[in-house]
Amino acid sequence: MASRISSASKQAELLKDQGNLYFKKERFGAAIDAYTEAITLCSDVPVYWTNRALCHRKRNEWERMESDCRKALELDKHAVKAHYMLGLALLQRECYAEAVKHLEKALELSRGGKPTSYMVEEIWRELAKAKYIEWEVVSNARRKKQKEVREICEKALKEEYEAAVKKLKDKEGKLNDIKQLNDTRISDMSMGEVILIEDDERVDSGEMEADDFQSTVDTSKVSELSRLNLLYKERLQALSEIFNKAGSPDKPAEIPEYLCCGITMDIFRDPVITPSGVTYERAVLLEHLRKVGKFDPLTRADLQPNQVVSNLAIKEGVQAFLAENGQMGSFSSVIIYERWSFGGFV
Amino acid sequence: MSTSTPQKTLSRIAAHRLQKELAEWQANPPTGFKHKATDDIQLWIIEVTGAPGTLYENEQYYLQVDFPEQYPMEAPQVIFVKDPPMHPHIYSNGHICLDILYDSWSPAMTVSSICMSILSMLSSSTSKERPPDNDRYVRNCRNGRSPKETRWWFHDDKV
Repeated sequence: MASRISSASKQAELLKDQGNLYFKKERFGAAIDAYTEAITLCSDVPVYWTNRALCHRKRNEWERMESDCRKALELDKHAVKAHYMLGLALLQRECYAEAVKHLEKALELSRGGKPTSYMVEEIWRELAKAKYIEWEVVSNARRKKQKEVREICEKALKEEYEAAVKKLKDKEGKLNDIKQLNDTRISDMSMGEVILIEDDERVDSGEMEADDFQSTVDTSKVSELSRLNLLYKERLQALSEIFNKAGSPDKPAEIPEYLCCGITMDIFRDPVITPSGVTYERAVLLEHLRKVGKFDPLTRADLQPNQVVSNLAIKEGVQAFLAENGQMGSFSSVIIYERWSFGGFV
Repeated sequence: MSTSTPQKTLSRIAAHRLQKELAEWQANPPTGFKHKATDDIQLWIIEVTGAPGTLYENEQYYLQVDFPEQYPMEAPQVIFVKDPPMHPHIYSNGHICLDILYDSWSPAMTVSSICMSILSMLSSSTSKERPPDNDRYVRNCRNGRSPKETRWWFHDDKV
């Protein structure tokens, strides 16, 4: 019995090797068949599933890729490649939040291994893209909603203002009706003044001609109208400030200088601090120590590679910034991250 | 000036840094310098105006900054083009004897900081003359050698 199991697993391993060979030759169909046979023999080996998933990926068969990845994760929830490819498949389906979750998991798991492996770079890139798209989708929806609410608020303020003005005019109208019995000139005046509410000087000069009693009434009415007008404008201003503030997370933000490395002039990924107290991007600083010289680039103090330590505070700062600003702020920054795959610097 | 460098491609890090430096320069140019627009981000031409109250007051010179593929791990090549200023550290072929451009380069330096160093070098000059070894040096560079290939021994800081 035991030997049969072992021979089945041996056979499956052979099939996997065969699949890998086909894969290298880009014969993905044949590779899928080989992996499928391996799975039939031994369905509990996650690698068979992830390898087949990779073939599906090459053939853009996203649904199959997704289900193979899920199967692999059932068998091994720490399968980096399964998390990674599942993330990609979810991106295709526009399930950004879930895609981000799996890509983050993949990144976390792969960092535990070799920190500079090509896998990390690839995952990082995809994650950056996913996060940006996710942010964009969410922020677009939020912007739309905010615009709607803002329009409603503005309309309400306007209506309230107009109603208040109307009420004032009605009140004035009644007063005028009474006064008209005494002096018809007054109603003409006030008509003129209603039009002139925003032009105090001209109203003032008009008042000069009126008698003392009329002047008092007009002044109070004019000041009441301009008070209403001012209040309305202030409220519009306040409203606009509120919405601008609320909308600021949806605008791509500049990366603050203190989160940027002086050498790369880009946001930190893996910041390290030197004994001089200066923080640099780890890979680039080590490159400098290797190629340029054993000194702190900024202070020129002697510096050995073993003297640098992670700057966790800055790292957290970067994470907070990225979380608040839709990962990259702008899509072009995603491309910046590709530089780490450039061989010379890692 | 025939400092011919073969067309090279910048590393991603270099490309990104140059874009950042150019943007920073445009937003906040160092006093006395003007970047002449070219369509090549790897080759900057910069106009220098001598600082007021110095021997080079209101005189105009041109710097050519050529960025290597591995910038900023490697210093850019900086030379004067057209008529180089008469200066004890500047050769008639435009090469500049300034340690930060060679042995003392640090990736934390920028085009902007190089420019400031060059301007301060000009400003501190007390006589308009060529380095004593000018003729010999220029003769040795006739084949278009880059100043970065020179083994410099640096003149002291007092001009």
